Amino acid sequence: MPVIIVDGKEIEIGADERLNCIEAARRAGAEIPHYCWHPGLTVVASCRMCLIETGSRDAATGKVTMVPKLVPACQTPAKDGTVIVTESQLVKESRARVEEALLIDHPIDCPICDKAGECLLQDYHFEHGQPERRADLHPFTSRKREMGSTVTLFVDRCVMCTRCVRFTREISGSSELMVINRGAKEEIDVFPGFPLENKLSGNVVDLCPVGALGDKDFLYQQRVWFLKREPNVCGGCAAGCSIHTEHNQDTVYRLKPRENPHVNKWWMCDDGRYGWHHLHDPSRLVEARRAAGGRVRRGHAEFDTIEWSDVGRRLRDDLGAAGRLAVAVSPMLTLEEAWMLCAVARSIDPQAFLAVGHVPVDGTDETYPGGFTIRAEKCPNRRGVEGVIALFGAVDAAGGVPGWDALLDHVRGGNADAAWITAAYPRGWIDEDAAESFASLSCLVVQDLFESPLSRMATWKLPAAGFAERAGTWVNAAHRAQVFQQAIRPPAGVWPEGRLSWSMLGRRGLYDAEAVRRQIAESSPAFAALAGDVPSTGIDLRIQQLASK
Amino acid sequence: MIARKKILTDEMVAKIEALAPRYPNRRALTLPALHVVYAELRHVPLEAVVEIAEVLGLAPAEVQDTLSFYQFFPQEKPCGKVRAFVCRSVSCALRGGDELLERLCHANGIDPYGTTPDGELTIEPAECLGACDFAPCILANDDLLANMTPEAAQAELKKPRARAT
Amino acid sequence: MPPFKPVLLEAVGVPDGHTLASYVARGGYAPVAKALAEKQPADVIEMVKSSGLRGRGGAGFSTGLKWTFLPKDHPGPIYLCVNADESEPGTFNNRILMEDDPHQVIEGIILSSYATRASTAYIYLRYEYPRSWQRLQAAIDEAYAAGWLGKNIKGSGFSLDVYLHRGAAAYICGEETGLIESLEGKRAWPRIKPPFPAIEGLFRKPTVVNNVETMACVAQIARRGVDWFKSIGVPADPNNPRDPGSYGPKLYCLSGHVEKPGCYEAPLGITARQLIEEHGGGVWKGRRAKAVIPGGISMGLMTESELDTPLDFAGPGKVGCLGLGTAAVVVIDDQTSIVDFLHNSCRFFAHESCGQCTPCREGTSWSLRMLERIKAGKGRLKDLDILHEIGNTMGMMPGSTICGLADGAAWPIKNAIKKFRGEFEDYIKRTNPSGWMVTEPVPALQIVGAH
Repeated sequence: MPVIIVDGKEIEIGADERLNCIEAARRAGAEIPHYCWHPGLTVVASCRMCLIETGSRDAATGKVTMVPKLVPACQTPAKDGTVIVTESQLVKESRARVEEALLIDHPIDCPICDKAGECLLQDYHFEHGQPERRADLHPFTSRKREMGSTVTLFVDRCVMCTRCVRFTREISGSSELMVINRGAKEEIDVFPGFPLENKLSGNVVDLCPVGALGDKDFLYQQRVWFLKREPNVCGGCAAGCSIHTEHNQDTVYRLKPRENPHVNKWWMCDDGRYGWHHLHDPSRLVEARRAAGGRVRRGHAEFDTIEWSDVGRRLRDDLGAAGRLAVAVSPMLTLEEAWMLCAVARSIDPQAFLAVGHVPVDGTDETYPGGFTIRAEKCPNRRGVEGVIALFGAVDAAGGVPGWDALLDHVRGGNADAAWITAAYPRGWIDEDAAESFASLSCLVVQDLFESPLSRMATWKLPAAGFAERAGTWVNAAHRAQVFQQAIRPPAGVWPEGRLSWSMLGRRGLYDAEAVRRQIAESSPAFAALAGDVPSTGIDLRIQQLASK
Repeated sequence: MIARKKILTDEMVAKIEALAPRYPNRRALTLPALHVVYAELRHVPLEAVVEIAEVLGLAPAEVQDTLSFYQFFPQEKPCGKVRAFVCRSVSCALRGGDELLERLCHANGIDPYGTTPDGELTIEPAECLGACDFAPCILANDDLLANMTPEAAQAELKKPRARAT
Repeated sequence: MPPFKPVLLEAVGVPDGHTLASYVARGGYAPVAKALAEKQPADVIEMVKSSGLRGRGGAGFSTGLKWTFLPKDHPGPIYLCVNADESEPGTFNNRILMEDDPHQVIEGIILSSYATRASTAYIYLRYEYPRSWQRLQAAIDEAYAAGWLGKNIKGSGFSLDVYLHRGAAAYICGEETGLIESLEGKRAWPRIKPPFPAIEGLFRKPTVVNNVETMACVAQIARRGVDWFKSIGVPADPNNPRDPGSYGPKLYCLSGHVEKPGCYEAPLGITARQLIEEHGGGVWKGRRAKAVIPGGISMGLMTESELDTPLDFAGPGKVGCLGLGTAAVVVIDDQTSIVDFLHNSCRFFAHESCGQCTPCREGTSWSLRMLERIKAGKGRLKDLDILHEIGNTMGMMPGSTICGLADGAAWPIKNAIKKFRGEFEDYIKRTNPSGWMVTEPVPALQIVGAH
């Protein structure tokens, strides 16, 4: 195994690993500051913040020969015998000078900068900068320039790392951003009339190490030090991008991609990034309501609000009394929620018809030059729900699991007396015609985020949880299972699907997704890989299944 | 077929296309294309950048990125019929290049990089023109004006000058 | 030694010397015909290698050795880029060669392309040379018509196309990877190395970048032989294993405060004083030199007492200069303010810094601002320390930048301040009697003169 010597400490790296000195030093616990380098972009080695001293140790003699000058760690490969010195006087002075240089024309407007608190210029200056200014003082300018509908550029704060420009050329392939002019007059810009408009645009804000690129959706909404971040998974499409949900007091302020080499690398799309506002939409369903008289009706029924402690029992009574039950298990649910829902349904009607709920599809998959794919399937867990339903034996002749259309046919064919439709879609998903299919049932339960033509004819109208309010496991389009915790609590009083099912199964205490997950894993080879701890980047269920055979 | 252009004439596009076989990709045509347009229009307006980008199969921002780096192609308006680069680098400066620039600007009532209101003359400072044996010197369109005094230069710059390239 | 007779400049003053007919009459194109007929590419490389020819563009790297870095048996294409972006202040030797003897350059290009198996050569010519453009284009056209360029040159089976590519006034395009980026249609930001151009250069293919004068030298080596070339110049220093010697004739550009500025051909190793006295007619107006730039402004400054330094590849370094550079000697007389000189130098580099690396982008701009302020009578002694620090830390040699532009910006600063500190201090104290001792940051001046 190749051995790297970082500040005198030896570490081993994999024989086939191609690491640069920043990555190798990080393994040894030494953080080399850098602006322009990003693992997802080409190396330009231009910010010169990562300069280190380096050399090589002769394998035979052990003699160390140092390179007689500073080198950029980002551009220098770490090979067997590479010696990395990250804290010498020369290195420290060099960092201090780069920091000083970057502040010569910087407005130093930290008090009004949205990046304050998570700005590398601030952090590095604190750690590596010199205590006093030597450059001439000049008046403060803070020019703003619109890059497009999602991003604002604060021109003077830029350190010209060009990460954003490289992103639009290498990853989104849209090439809207450019560097203009030369030397100290350089700036980032867009061509007039050709704004930054691509579905990955928000990533340039994440890439910006300083306060130059601001996300209009987040700008001035919250000081970042008040935010808490929860590892989460985006529910916007079947890609299942790993994200952080950043929130404060049960309010989401922004979503950020979370590095996952198997799924989204460092990126996420704008649909996902800005797709959280529905969580705080005041028109969300927040009460458990039952139609007066308890029958499916067209038009405007009178609804009674039911205490949550009574919901489980009365729901069970209504469904049990109605007869044959059909259940749509929404692909927005987690594995655990889906499994409990199926269990509840079968406990009411052992023959309950189980089907995957409506799968929203929008266009076709879109793959970008950097390999990032936005899925047309706009739900996070179709594969997981299919797997759960299969566990309950609901498999058709072809070995498939019934879907939404099969459920509609089932109901229209008069094979059901009651239906329990879980939905939880952030957008409208059902029209009057489809809803009409359920008109003749004696009991209809709809669990959704918002009113819909279906909920308007429901016997029971129950609120659903939004993605950040759930806990459990989603299985993405590539069969990767990712486990996540609840990031925020649902609106006051709402029992999300998991909690309701948990209670209807007669379990004690709070809904414990992990306990359910282990139970699923124990009962099924398909999900066996989920029995233990699941890494933050998830597990590929197909590979795990093959390996276990 | 490329859609008809508003700024680029068929002749300009043909000139650019004639150079295409010299390079293995079209991006390398960026500077030649800018020179073709500049030679005809004496500037490269933003609309022309969009059209050049279209001809070369690039994003306008990619062409503008390159163009703006050189700080050579005027964009807002054409430069004067005579574009005079007055050398200010060391060999010319030692022999009065800065004063030459200042005197010429004053005599013509313009600032450096400015164009006379009649559109006849643009005066710009230039870094070394590579004619240090003739310092101080001026490049006026294609003509090198050697060993200039402000008076001689003013007279020279009043003369009409062809621009072959 | 017999009196030196110009070779590279033999066409200067010859009527129609720039034409094919004149060049052929002087013995031109016979060597390349012979090489194509009788020599293998490896033989040409060996010839150039054994001549000791070092690149004339500024860095002085062995030309033959550079060629051997190309991958063996590469399927092609391999490119030759001829660096005619001569932009180093004080330098104009390439211009003279291209204007007065373009065929000599073209013959060198054919020989070099044959040696390196390049099938396309681009001459990257700076915008500021319209006359060179016309002369070179005419010469290329003549060479095509005479069968010296194009398909199957003189039945040798070797084909070569030569294209002129025009720059747009950016000094950094003279840096070989900046030139490559510019040729590819991008901003001329120098590339990080490795990969070096010989492995991955223009259009990501193996590429050699050589200077115009280097091409002329190749033509003359082919015509006059390796022994002739090695008979001129300064042999390797036996006490310095890293000195490969400085062989051959060199074009010295002499400008500034001399009586007769011009481009003079001399054996490598002529001293600055000899050049000024024997060729330049002495410092103008009977004055004395205060300082002399040895090889383009990037190389720094020699003082009057250092003028006996030989201008070979090793000489200027011995007196603290960066090197021989382009061998462009600029004389600064004793009535010139060194503050003005350094301001001029800083203005140039602030204008020409490509802006990629932080230390150069900000360092060149900051040093210009300080010089503007010092010139305006608001200087502080502290500024000299900061300038000196910038000069010592900015560049490829300390490792803080990708390319050597910053070294070129740094050397005049550190040479000027080290060798003329007294003059700077006197100037600052005299012009800023109440503020020269301030050490806290001062309000910036509104900057003028740089765009």
